[in-house]
Amino acid sequence: MDSATWCLRPGQTLQYREWDGECVLYNDLSGATHLLGGAALELLLALRRGAATLASLAHVLHAEFDIDAADLAGETDALLRHLQRLDLVDMRAC
Amino acid sequence: MLTAASPTVASLTVASLNRTALATRLAGPGLLVQTGPFVSRIRSSIGHVAEGIELLYGDYPLLAEDSFADFHVGLQPSGGLRRWYKPQVNFDLDGLVPFEPLPEAHAFPMLEWGLNWCISTRAHSWLMIHAAVVERDGCAAILPAPPGSGKSTLCAALVHRGWRLLSDELALLRPDDGLLVPVARPVSLKNRSIDVIRAYVPEAVLSRPVSNTTKGTVAHLKAPADSVARVRETARPAWIVFPKYEAGAATTMTPLTRTDTFFRVAGNAFNYSEMGARGFTTLAGTIERCAGYDFRYSDLDEAIAGFAALEPPP
Amino acid sequence: MKALPVLVRLLRDPPLAAGLGLPEWDLALRQSTCTNLSPSLLALLEEHDLLERVPAAPRAHLEWVRALATRHRQAARFEVECIQAALGAQAAPLLLLKGAAYTMAGLRAGAGRLYNDIDILVPKARLDAVEAALMLHGWASSGHDAYDQRYYRQWMHELPPMQHLRRRTSIDVHHAILPETAPLHPDPDKLRAAAVPVDGAPGLATLAPADMVLHSAVHLFFDGEFDKGLRDLLDLHRLFQEFGVRPGFWDALPARARELELGRPLFYALRYSRRLLGTPVPQAVLEAMAPCGPRRPLLALMDALFERALLPMHASCDDALSAPARFALYVRGNWLRMPPLLLARHLFHKAFISRKDAPETV
Repeated sequence: MDSATWCLRPGQTLQYREWDGECVLYNDLSGATHLLGGAALELLLALRRGAATLASLAHVLHAEFDIDAADLAGETDALLRHLQRLDLVDMRAC
Repeated sequence: MLTAASPTVASLTVASLNRTALATRLAGPGLLVQTGPFVSRIRSSIGHVAEGIELLYGDYPLLAEDSFADFHVGLQPSGGLRRWYKPQVNFDLDGLVPFEPLPEAHAFPMLEWGLNWCISTRAHSWLMIHAAVVERDGCAAILPAPPGSGKSTLCAALVHRGWRLLSDELALLRPDDGLLVPVARPVSLKNRSIDVIRAYVPEAVLSRPVSNTTKGTVAHLKAPADSVARVRETARPAWIVFPKYEAGAATTMTPLTRTDTFFRVAGNAFNYSEMGARGFTTLAGTIERCAGYDFRYSDLDEAIAGFAALEPPP
Repeated sequence: MKALPVLVRLLRDPPLAAGLGLPEWDLALRQSTCTNLSPSLLALLEEHDLLERVPAAPRAHLEWVRALATRHRQAARFEVECIQAALGAQAAPLLLLKGAAYTMAGLRAGAGRLYNDIDILVPKARLDAVEAALMLHGWASSGHDAYDQRYYRQWMHELPPMQHLRRRTSIDVHHAILPETAPLHPDPDKLRAAAVPVDGAPGLATLAPADMVLHSAVHLFFDGEFDKGLRDLLDLHRLFQEFGVRPGFWDALPARARELELGRPLFYALRYSRRLLGTPVPQAVLEAMAPCGPRRPLLALMDALFERALLPMHASCDDALSAPARFALYVRGNWLRMPPLLLARHLFHKAFISRKDAPETV
């Protein structure tokens, strides 16, 4: 699963504002507006640069945030699945 | 066939019609009146409506019969037997009847509620927030609040203590530049606040209170003439203040985080979702140029002082 | 035929916009508001570069609906994506009908076109699987009673409308374009065989141009409710305009109509689109379709009915015969969809029973 590739859902332009560590983001597909934490935003910005594997995304979070190495992959995966349910990212053939 | 720029000649106002002429026009082709960016053609054969308009709408521009109107509204008696027994009034927007009939005595409040409904369900060129808006020295305060928070009482008091009225119900934010567009229609007051404002503003012009409405006893306060005269003047938002009247409470102005303010304003908006991405950028821009506060008060004088003490954000 | 309402004249000939005065604009926008055609009118004026010629006040008013059209388009596209994700191989390609088809195929008929439901066409044999897949992904059959369920499943050509529980959006799953109970049976297999893929949207398809026109025609002229009459007629007009310049479209249309037993609806579509909206139709096509029309006395009656019912449902467009005309067409519409005995039972049930009983949970 580490090699599963994630990408930004086509059509998401990531219009957002970051205030005091919190992020409000407009969902170009569903029209919803989300309140996201810093880690979620980092993942989205990373995916805007290009599709990435779970492993490389976990690495991005590790560099920016204080997450226990043991939990890293699990937390990253959980966050990605949360973003997937919000129609922001996807794990299909990217 | 573009319209020419506004003529420099002073335009006619509703006050130029005497009582008979006003009633005749309302009962016949309709009265065309401008309130901010909206022109309404109002038709009604009901005395209460003519009375309310004569008392509270004198300062607004009166337009010629062949003008373009945004809303064609009617307040007419229900037909049939109801004409004679507990008469009722229907509100219609060009034949569309969005509400159940009300007792005829409620006809003027129904006009006000009806016009608010027309604007808030249709005027999607603006991001519309359910809020009062007042302005002073070039800076505007947006007061979003669900019913019962005391926003209208506070608004009525503020506009008689140096603040300009933009609206008591509808904050209209222009997407292009984030400025607030005034409507400056009468301020609606309920229950206790009617007496409070009568005492606080002895010179206030109030419509005859109507009791037993779904909101209790309701009256409308005439908008200050200066506010109506300046209705074309937009305003820069500087503060977003969520008021809450609490008997006995000390006056407190508590800062809010930007994200808190964002979602609370969105929750009070009429058309945040309909405005899509533009709604997001308009609201985000407004949050960034404003300071947000929770405001608790019980004493009007202290509340006015609290607002006077607000500093424009850097 | 008396003078056409100003909105109809505008839709028929957009350059008229440059010459309208404020009172005419006032009336035109009242008519477009009550028919929900303001976004289409905005799109039409923009297409013809005419917005600048509209006076400031009506122009500002018309701009109010721009946000609605944009948001609607976004919501429709997202909804189609969600349906595709839910159905996957159960309905591949996903065949869209009506408004959703116009939007996704980028047709001019889709510009500013608002609609409440997404309509899709699936093979009858796949209905159960499609329904199950939708329910798995959050859709539920809307709260109808047992009678309504049978009405749809046994007699109509569709599942009862399904609503997505979270998004509150609606989907209509059809297996044919006319009910089983109707006297005509255009073969859905033929429609599916001729379906065309949507450019740039893998997995999506629409009916072929001729079939799209025929479906729109049968939907309008075999139905009983005309509150959307002018909108549906405008669809036809726009479809004719867009497809009419494609080689072979006009030549093949009459034969296809006959093949699908839809000659009469096409006859009406051509006739009223021409008479009310001025659609350019080749003489050869009119002649080819003439035998499909009703005989003279009936045609005169249908003219009187349709030329009233297709106008905006606004006081300014009504005369003393407008309400009876709409009623007559309502009865006709139901008649065309159900045989008499079934119809009487249906109307009886709707009038007296549906209101009392609480809907059963399905």
